Amino acid sequence: MRIETQDGLRHRIPRDESRGMRTDVVVYASEPMMQQIRKDLSLEQAINVATLPGIAGPALAMPDIHQGYGFPIGGVAAMDCEHGVVSPGGVGFDINCGVRLVRTSLGEADVRPRLRELIQEIFRDVPCGTGGSGRVKIGPRDLERVLTEGARWMVANGYGEPRDAEFAEAGGALPGADPAAVSDRARERGLPQLGTLGSGNHFLEVQYVEEIHEPAAARAYGLAEGQAVVLIHSGSRGLGHQVCTDYVALMNRNMARYNIRLPDRQLACGPIESEEGRQYLAAMAAAANFAWANRQGILHFLRGAFRRIFSTDARLDLVYDVCHNIAKRERHDVGGRRREVLVHRKGATRAFPPGHREIPADYRIAGQPVFVPGSMGTASWVLAGAPGSMAETFGSVCHGAGRLLSRTAVRKGKDARQEQQRLEDRGILVHSETRDGILEELPEAYKNVDEVIEVVHQAGLARKVARLRPMGVIKG
Amino acid sequence: MAFELLEHPADIGFRAFDESLPGLFANCALALLSIACDLSAVQPANRYRLWVSSGDRESLLVDWLNEVLYWFDGKRIALESFQIDHLDETSLIATALGEPRDPVRHPAKLIVKAATYHQLRIEERDGCWMAEVYLDV
Repeated sequence: MRIETQDGLRHRIPRDESRGMRTDVVVYASEPMMQQIRKDLSLEQAINVATLPGIAGPALAMPDIHQGYGFPIGGVAAMDCEHGVVSPGGVGFDINCGVRLVRTSLGEADVRPRLRELIQEIFRDVPCGTGGSGRVKIGPRDLERVLTEGARWMVANGYGEPRDAEFAEAGGALPGADPAAVSDRARERGLPQLGTLGSGNHFLEVQYVEEIHEPAAARAYGLAEGQAVVLIHSGSRGLGHQVCTDYVALMNRNMARYNIRLPDRQLACGPIESEEGRQYLAAMAAAANFAWANRQGILHFLRGAFRRIFSTDARLDLVYDVCHNIAKRERHDVGGRRREVLVHRKGATRAFPPGHREIPADYRIAGQPVFVPGSMGTASWVLAGAPGSMAETFGSVCHGAGRLLSRTAVRKGKDARQEQQRLEDRGILVHSETRDGILEELPEAYKNVDEVIEVVHQAGLARKVARLRPMGVIKG
Repeated sequence: MAFELLEHPADIGFRAFDESLPGLFANCALALLSIACDLSAVQPANRYRLWVSSGDRESLLVDWLNEVLYWFDGKRIALESFQIDHLDETSLIATALGEPRDPVRHPAKLIVKAATYHQLRIEERDGCWMAEVYLDV
């Protein structure tokens, strides 16, 4: 594989027709990170993405890239809306998996003394969903509304405050959702899971703002040093997983009809303008709305837990909510021409720069907030979108630290209780549904999030605003 | 053990074996469920009928595993053993034993999102069938 390193941050794999590539692959990473990235199949997967019909501009890989299935995680691919394809695998099984940051009126010093109690309270009210169901009880008719109205339905029905939906990407509800495109199976899987966190890398962390890097943007986002905040990482639960399963199967059955040949069946796709393409996008939007409703439900119960432990006056305001598994119709400059493209972000976050009209007015001067979780023992970052993202990456940036070690490799020779104690000695209280939940998500399983952030900051895709440190962690 | 776990940077996979192709499909289902829950806690109280049809053998295996996962996560039935009554290139009928999921006895060990086509393999070598499947977790 030929890789041309451009400036120590950008690495180009030129289009190779013998591999069916229709475009280049561009990877954003430091030299040492690049050595690591070459060890798994992620670059092969990025090359496979570059073979998809109608891809506009290069296939992109962020510094948190790691091997996925079909698409790499940490990838961005824009498809021409007229001639391109949509791939359910390019969004992923956890449709609209995303992150929301909540700022509180409390400081680190207020929270620490009652942290254990707080974490237990949240753990009770925001279940992981491994056993029973969530605390948001809705019927099938309400679900129809959730699928079209997302976080807005939750707010209108007592699960939130009016400004919550406003401060989510797309206002917490993607247009074009059609509940009829969502199977009964997907509804059955999702209905009892509304308001649950999930397992794997999903989490809820009570954190504090450790350092501010850009005071003006931090002020706009309502963040100050020492402030207690909460970061929530969850998605569309079983409903989204089943929507993806259903449409990967449908696309696989029908691809021959469109004469599409792929190097990996997990990339299964159909023309955006085909019946299958339209149906998938309508179902995906519905699942995305379910995810926003899910994170909204979690915020609602989080508020209750904080107010019971601290004070009924405790304020918890949503800073913003970003999705990192999604396909969205956007207008971008491609080859000097303004085109409508479907931007697949698979483990990548939208990062619109200052002035963009899709950013809430309060943040428009600062740019769109982006949240990048690290791992439960290290740090997470608040970034702001920068002009480079529009010029180079279809308004996108990384979504996390990126996984380094497999689940089996990281837990080898380790004891969950000892690891829990080791984190506690460093001031990080971890509460997990299962022992595996702790061991498989240990900090050493991930790349260094600070190095990932440095790359996107240096490349001008996003700017560092604040670094957050965990105090209490809830894992599935 | 009729299966072993496979590493993946972010997810998890398994390699299952059997002398026959129907046995292989049954062992793949057991591998999936043993990743998702504690199989020893599931009682063979009820008998259930499952069927799947698909385009070819590979997609039949993926669709079969996603069917079993739907029973676990959607219908909330925990299954502990499988007998494949009919199997051809594109369809499968199975009888399974298990019981409705009890939130206390049958919590998910790891929430499995789906079975994928990623590096999917089904092979016969020296009279032994082998399949490799990766799951999104």
